[in-house]
Amino acid sequence: MSEVVERRLGSGAVLILAGGVLGLAALIITVRRGVTEWPYALTFGILIAIGEMVQFRVDRSRNRAPIATSAALGYAVLRGPEVGIPPDVAQVIAVTGIATLAGVLPRVIAGMRWDIVVSCRRVLSVAGAAAVFSAVTPIDLYWTGSWRHALPLTGAMLLAVLGAATMDALIGAGQATEKFNQPFPAALRDEVVMAGRIGMAMGISGILLACGTSLLGLWGPPLVVVPLFLTQFAFRRFASAQRTYRTTVRSMARSTEIAGFSSPGQNARTAQLAVTLGHDLGLTPARMEALEYAALLSGVGQLALADPSPGGASLLRSRGERQQAAEIGASIIERSGVLDHVAEIVRHSNDPYRQGRANNSDIPVESGIVNVALAYEQLVGEGNGQSPEKAMESIGLGIGAEYDPVVVESLRRVIGRGFRF
Amino acid sequence: MNSRWPLRLTVAFSAGIATVALFVALFHTRPDAPTLTLGLLLLVGALLRSKVGPVRASLDYVVGIALFLLSGVAAAVVVSVLLPLTQDRRLPLMRRVFNGAMAVLCASAAGLVFLRAGGVQGKEVLESPGRAMFAATMAIITWLAVSAVLMCLVLWLDRGATSPLDFLRKVAAPTVLPMMGYGLLGVLLAVVWIGGLGIGAAILVVVPLLVARWTLSLYEAERNAQAATMRAFIQVIETKDLYTRGHSERVSEGVGMLGRHLKLSENRQQALEHAGLLHDVGKVGVPTNIIRKPGRLDASEMDAIRLHPARGVELIGNIPFLEEVKSAVLHHHEKFDGSGYPAGLSGQNIPYFARIIGIVDAFDSLTSTRSYRPARDIEETLQILLQDRYTHFDPHLVDAFVEVIRARGWVTVTDQPEPDSTVQAAIDHDDLSLGSGGGATGSAAGPGA
Repeated sequence: MSEVVERRLGSGAVLILAGGVLGLAALIITVRRGVTEWPYALTFGILIAIGEMVQFRVDRSRNRAPIATSAALGYAVLRGPEVGIPPDVAQVIAVTGIATLAGVLPRVIAGMRWDIVVSCRRVLSVAGAAAVFSAVTPIDLYWTGSWRHALPLTGAMLLAVLGAATMDALIGAGQATEKFNQPFPAALRDEVVMAGRIGMAMGISGILLACGTSLLGLWGPPLVVVPLFLTQFAFRRFASAQRTYRTTVRSMARSTEIAGFSSPGQNARTAQLAVTLGHDLGLTPARMEALEYAALLSGVGQLALADPSPGGASLLRSRGERQQAAEIGASIIERSGVLDHVAEIVRHSNDPYRQGRANNSDIPVESGIVNVALAYEQLVGEGNGQSPEKAMESIGLGIGAEYDPVVVESLRRVIGRGFRF
Repeated sequence: MNSRWPLRLTVAFSAGIATVALFVALFHTRPDAPTLTLGLLLLVGALLRSKVGPVRASLDYVVGIALFLLSGVAAAVVVSVLLPLTQDRRLPLMRRVFNGAMAVLCASAAGLVFLRAGGVQGKEVLESPGRAMFAATMAIITWLAVSAVLMCLVLWLDRGATSPLDFLRKVAAPTVLPMMGYGLLGVLLAVVWIGGLGIGAAILVVVPLLVARWTLSLYEAERNAQAATMRAFIQVIETKDLYTRGHSERVSEGVGMLGRHLKLSENRQQALEHAGLLHDVGKVGVPTNIIRKPGRLDASEMDAIRLHPARGVELIGNIPFLEEVKSAVLHHHEKFDGSGYPAGLSGQNIPYFARIIGIVDAFDSLTSTRSYRPARDIEETLQILLQDRYTHFDPHLVDAFVEVIRARGWVTVTDQPEPDSTVQAAIDHDDLSLGSGGGATGSAAGPGA
């Protein structure tokens, strides 16, 4: 989808450097002081490495390794009575860092997808959690079986997890801004929402892991890790169902190409531009998804028209015909019963701005985005070969009448940053 | 109803034992904090009932397991009776009584095993975690086993739609390991509670359970969205021809019936139904004027029609289906004697799913109305299929299909247009009724081609 921006390193290099320096420093300190309670260090190290090894990715979001995250957070907040000398901050970082590398290495060798930047982020946020926890918890506070000790401990653990989540959200938002040119506040909002759901679940699992281990010793980890594995398994199943679903929608979109209503790759290019515009305008992930589907499926209504227009240039059709096709497409999409929002976007995707969104705030901005993306693709896409500047100029002529000014402004920014199909 | 009395007797008997167990437990229980709060949690959890079966059930017995370790076996038995109180009132009384009895019996049996296995309680859990975990694991296994046995018994007596074997294969077997795993959260709940956190432990442990439930519901939602989207997609393609409306969905239904008769695994059954739904998806690449053309097609138009299986595969090639779905779509017009298209495969070389779809495809086409002829009745169509064994179809599969249709029946389309000689409609490419000899040489392209 976004190969253009995928390979820029920028913040990634900074994160790797920070993680590397921190890890190395922690390792040196730990080696000089000696490892305390090595059975725990080994157990949690193995858990982190395994979690890192079985990391997975939900379509389009970054790699996730919930078991590794929970295990590392858990290790950072261990206490007595079972853990005699809780690991200090340096040891937490060193164990997490080494285990992370040990977990990523097999993936690299096996040629599976890996992302050292994301793994580095994990190490950094765990370091944050360890620092917060050791700062707020007196060294002689441990689990005694009384709520007087249990409550402050749990509070400190929550605080540590929250610290880690905050740090990760900030870094994540910065990266999203850099990668997708999303406005920072919008990126931060997405990250916080994500941290509130998945992040919190991982954090609580880490806390439970620490509780169980502090109270039962090495009997504790299986109590948490087994359910965690089960949930991760279920989640991967969901992720693969979601992949199937997304490719189904993409295939559905390609049917217009096979039927000759649009040129090869036209839907994909339109969707690519629409997604870039959506990022630039800071839409939420849910709306981004609907926008992508709408852009992909915007031409599906043409299937009901009798014969394809040559080259699939829907700009050449009359407005009435285009709007009729959009209406048919919307009703087709609506029939599935699960893509109502997408149908709404498609329905208005050929309405000129002045008769549409300018006077009717119910029409979503996504319709305007799809409209502009369709037009720009028609002008610049394969075979039509206008230069981006020329296309921008002719779209500029339709600003306010045909096209939504906000979207055209966004298109200008996106093109200015060097967007090419 | 005479045949119901074994079932009623069983329900009454289990309810009787459950009542006795409950009374014994009541005498040994004193209402302490864990019993009260977890009982309340159970009630709240039951009220927030979701449709996702397995994990929802696990929440119940996770609480039971935790109570074994916190307040003792008797308390868990007493609390387990709360559950049936919150059942849906629309369920038949007998079902509700049985569910209640089952909950109490499971808790009692698991409790006895827990005690036999040397289960400990309270502070002792922290002192001998190994013993506590062993006893709790045995209790979890017993709980699940007793519940499965009771379910099987009642399904066997009920002789309803689900046989005990189906239940074991489709519900019990895939869920038993996850259920055992989530049961460990009950032990964790008890440990953290005893460790000093009290009710806070329940709040923490609920989070992983909720996430598990959420994940399962996500999966269901995604699967449903997938199915709905594919159906909508197919309807788009069928808008090209009035007379084939609903054809793909009926074929999917038909291959589903045959697949169940052939006892396919769950995965392959689903793949077969998908293939049935998508077999004609490539028709979107055939120009509408050819699809709608009345009368015979010339050679070049025939070639365009012959392309549709390959177009279909081109279209769905990226979707991560089982490979069998794609080969079925590609070869659903092959014939058993090798005279079909696109590859001219014959006999067992034709992919299994393609052979299945070929039969149901022809069957649905013959039993539906076409512009140039009315629908045939089912028995007549089955005779045509039987005549065409070896020439068109795999004989064993035809026999199986005829058996299935004769046993289960077939709902023919009712809302189709009448045959109308004024309508300019094409000859369906699936129609083999037009060849000589009642379809014995029926051509996929229409008459005489």
